[in-house]
Amino acid sequence: MAPLVQVEQLEKRFGEVRALDRVSFNVEAGEWIAIMGPSGSGKTTLINILGGLDHPSGGRVVVDGLEIGNLGERELTRYRADKIGFVFQQFHLVPYLTALENVMLAQYFHSITDEKEAAEALNRVGLSDRLNHVPAELSGGEQQRVAIARALINQPKVILADEPTGNLDEANEAVVLKLLHELHHAGHTILVVTHSHAIGNLADRRIELEHGRLARISAPTSAPSLAKE
Amino acid sequence: MAIRSMFLRILWKLLGASRGRLAVALIALTSGAAICSALLNVNLDAERKLTQEFRTLGANVVIAPPAGGSEAALADAGVLDRIAALRLPQILATAPYLYVAANSGTQPVILAGTWFDQVAKMNSWWKLEGGWVSSRDDHEHCLVGSTAARQLGLAPGSSVQLRSGDHNISLTVAGIVTTGGGEDNQILTNLDSAQTLAGLSGRVSLVQLSVSGAPTEIEGVTRKLADNLPGLDVRPVRQIAAAEGTILGRIRGLIFWTIALILVLSMLGVLASMAALAMERRRDVGLMKALGGTVPRIMRLFLAEAGTLGAVGGMLGFLIGVLLARWIGERIFGVVISARFEVLPITIALTIGVALAGAFPLRLLGRVRPAEILRGE
Repeated sequence: MAPLVQVEQLEKRFGEVRALDRVSFNVEAGEWIAIMGPSGSGKTTLINILGGLDHPSGGRVVVDGLEIGNLGERELTRYRADKIGFVFQQFHLVPYLTALENVMLAQYFHSITDEKEAAEALNRVGLSDRLNHVPAELSGGEQQRVAIARALINQPKVILADEPTGNLDEANEAVVLKLLHELHHAGHTILVVTHSHAIGNLADRRIELEHGRLARISAPTSAPSLAKE
Repeated sequence: MAIRSMFLRILWKLLGASRGRLAVALIALTSGAAICSALLNVNLDAERKLTQEFRTLGANVVIAPPAGGSEAALADAGVLDRIAALRLPQILATAPYLYVAANSGTQPVILAGTWFDQVAKMNSWWKLEGGWVSSRDDHEHCLVGSTAARQLGLAPGSSVQLRSGDHNISLTVAGIVTTGGGEDNQILTNLDSAQTLAGLSGRVSLVQLSVSGAPTEIEGVTRKLADNLPGLDVRPVRQIAAAEGTILGRIRGLIFWTIALILVLSMLGVLASMAALAMERRRDVGLMKALGGTVPRIMRLFLAEAGTLGAVGGMLGFLIGVLLARWIGERIFGVVISARFEVLPITIALTIGVALAGAFPLRLLGRVRPAEILRGE
């Protein structure tokens, strides 16, 4: 069976700068991958390309049988709606929509909205009492949990998280990590960009980038633990 | 259904989220709509009012025997009964004229017999020294044109003896008129008196009519008269019809260009608000695109928002415009201009058009690249 994500000789250039230089790896369905590396190593560029937010300059990226380098803008938009769930460091919730509506927004752009299903998704991330609160009325951790509920609502093939705990305090970081852990156990495929070794240790594998190149792919250095780093 | 309900839900939230900026846009739209609505109301009513005013400026239709005909080109006075029988509401005044070559002493002069009450209706601008002859049955008084009065040495109160062939009449001058036209050289008197003097009982040289309405309406009346008065020429007075048409055309043009200018100014007001709004919404659009929102679907939300503003601005503007039109009507025309409800859909459509054109900066948001926005660039 083909891997869910295949990345072959992936290149991304911004003018003279090579943000990604012949990066290759595969991800199996249900895997939790931590993408790590210093700032400027190409982690976010890699995740943007995997998420269909950016185009590769060279190489091949196949996700769930779709070669995304060949997709036009319209098809990429459909690809994002159907196959990808995003979780961002800055949460990126629409400020004038409630938690419930933010989740329903993803449904709206995917197919049809189902308020009950959206409420259940928020209930799963422990926010059943915050459905009608706008982001300004939620803590950082709560906002990130709304973003996770939104990422999951359309049952995406891959969850892409870019520094999901980067803006959170330790308590909220632990809550979000627990959620990601549960998602992993439920069979979701997760790719997380992180600087955090705690998250890296929770992942099945770590893909480490340096100067746009794949430095190494490694297994966790210690046993998975949800304890603080 | 769920999709439409979500669409309306987001639209409602969009309207609420940017109340300040949208209020500025709404004020621009409402102001523009109010002036457009007022001008359109005035335009529709002003045409009617102006054509009424024009009818005090002289006859605009003349009925006469065909030129070159026999019997010294005279018509039977029965034509007046036939005109009256048509009961055309557009005919505001009917003045028959019989022109008689007469002498006052040794001086030749043209005597015009007419109906003074009707002449007064269509020539209120004539300058009069002395008094008017108020009744068409007054056989004793006459009006004298200013040039003729000078030549014959007549003044109000003078007596004038007129002779034509074997007939004589004596008249008292009621007033001297200055018209700037042929009447300045004539003596005007009662139609019966002129017919008696000329021995042409029941005959008229021509009939002048004052017909109200727009040029097309006047042409319609002219056609109807011609159909019912065979053997007579029914001609609109081209200079007057053309002048009226020109004035109405210019007023229409002025109103059209004023409306166009106001709409452009409103659009600039909306454009300024929307440009600021577009900057605020770049992140939201980037996020929506990242979540799988297509450009047309996202733009539909913003255009619906602009369209809603346009519809609300159009409706408010219409109501304010009706009051404004009433004020303009009272100040300029001295009459109350009533609300014309056919202006409502036109005002709303124009305002929605302006709002959508002003929402151009929001359309540019379709070009936002989500990766750049979500990185915080």
